[in-house]
Amino acid sequence: MNLTSSRITTADFAAAQETYHANGWTDGLPVVPPTPDLVSACLEWALLSPEHLVGIEPVRERSITAEKLAINAVMAGCLPEHFPLVVTAFTAMLQPEFLLHGATASTGGCAVLLIVNGPIRRQLEMVATFNALGNTDRASAAVGRAIRLGLINLLDVRPGEIDRSTLGHPGKFSYCLAEDEENSPWSSLAEERLGESDVSAVTAVAAMAPRQIMNEWTSDPEQICDTISAEIRANQLHYSIWAGNYVVVLPTQLRQHFSDAGWSKADVQECVFDRARVMRGSWKQVGKGSVVKDRADREYPAMESPEELIVVAAGGPAGGFAQVIPPWLGTKSRATTVAVGACVDCEVP
Amino acid sequence: MIAERNGVPAVSIMTTAFVDAAELMARVQGVPLHPFAVIEHPIASADPEGIDDRARIAVVKAAEILAG
Repeated sequence: MNLTSSRITTADFAAAQETYHANGWTDGLPVVPPTPDLVSACLEWALLSPEHLVGIEPVRERSITAEKLAINAVMAGCLPEHFPLVVTAFTAMLQPEFLLHGATASTGGCAVLLIVNGPIRRQLEMVATFNALGNTDRASAAVGRAIRLGLINLLDVRPGEIDRSTLGHPGKFSYCLAEDEENSPWSSLAEERLGESDVSAVTAVAAMAPRQIMNEWTSDPEQICDTISAEIRANQLHYSIWAGNYVVVLPTQLRQHFSDAGWSKADVQECVFDRARVMRGSWKQVGKGSVVKDRADREYPAMESPEELIVVAAGGPAGGFAQVIPPWLGTKSRATTVAVGACVDCEVP
Repeated sequence: MIAERNGVPAVSIMTTAFVDAAELMARVQGVPLHPFAVIEHPIASADPEGIDDRARIAVVKAAEILAG
């Protein structure tokens, strides 16, 4: 395979790490040195040539090629079979409506949340239950990290350079979640967004840090909806009032209450859409009275439509918890879903 | 920068907190000496007089840049 990236020779593994750190090529953690063999293996698995154009970031006018992406995937710890997810994720992030430059440069400090659906989750042994948004499995950790390393090395999204985040959040190391399709009575996120069943896909969301809610004390879906909606309203007042792609991650226990009552994902979306909305005048209660002006009676829904709420089944079997993941900044960036294009069942050529 | 490259006179305005980011973008876009109109940071919490002051400064600096 004809790789064209420049090659660097170091004395040993430790020297390689120092080279990466000294040049700002890592996220602060050690990396796997991307040898030509390892990079080639990723490309071969995904059936991509090194020069394959994954996309172009329009503001920077930077071409993202498969070879450069594979280098960062290897550095992040990806195995060759993980690489199609990395390519798909970047493809999703490079869709115009995702607004990649804005989402990665903003002082708001969001990260790229990846939600993985379809058979590829099982093939990669991704874990969608215990600790779903924490350190779960090899593929989730490495694919999420590959996104950050790719942003750093291909688009200069380093803190203080293109990344202007005031605070950021820990999801910037890795923020990748598989949906628990096997234990969910609902259609998957990819099925909803792509209209195809059993499709492997990645949804990318410019997302803030998760906010955990707890309601152990009811089985009434309306009351669970109230708790979720209250958290979203709090975010609208404390962070950003604008409507956008909120994500709600629903673990088994609360999900069971919804499904026992016959609620579909669409019912959850409708309920939260109805209740997650604030009056601009409420800003006065949280120290933002100066921007209420003459619009105190204007209502702000958290989503422009019920479908804008992304409901994801994931999390361990016990605990009346859920998580609300707010969007970066309203609809400036919209969630994008792309099917995995590579043949993940194919033998390495 | 892209507008100027396409022959449309343009000027970039940013606050002091974003000067190094703007300089980085200028280098990336291949115009490292691209001039900017820089005004005081922050904008959002400035009172009306503060906004007026920044606007006046921005206009003067932008006019200087456009006049070359």
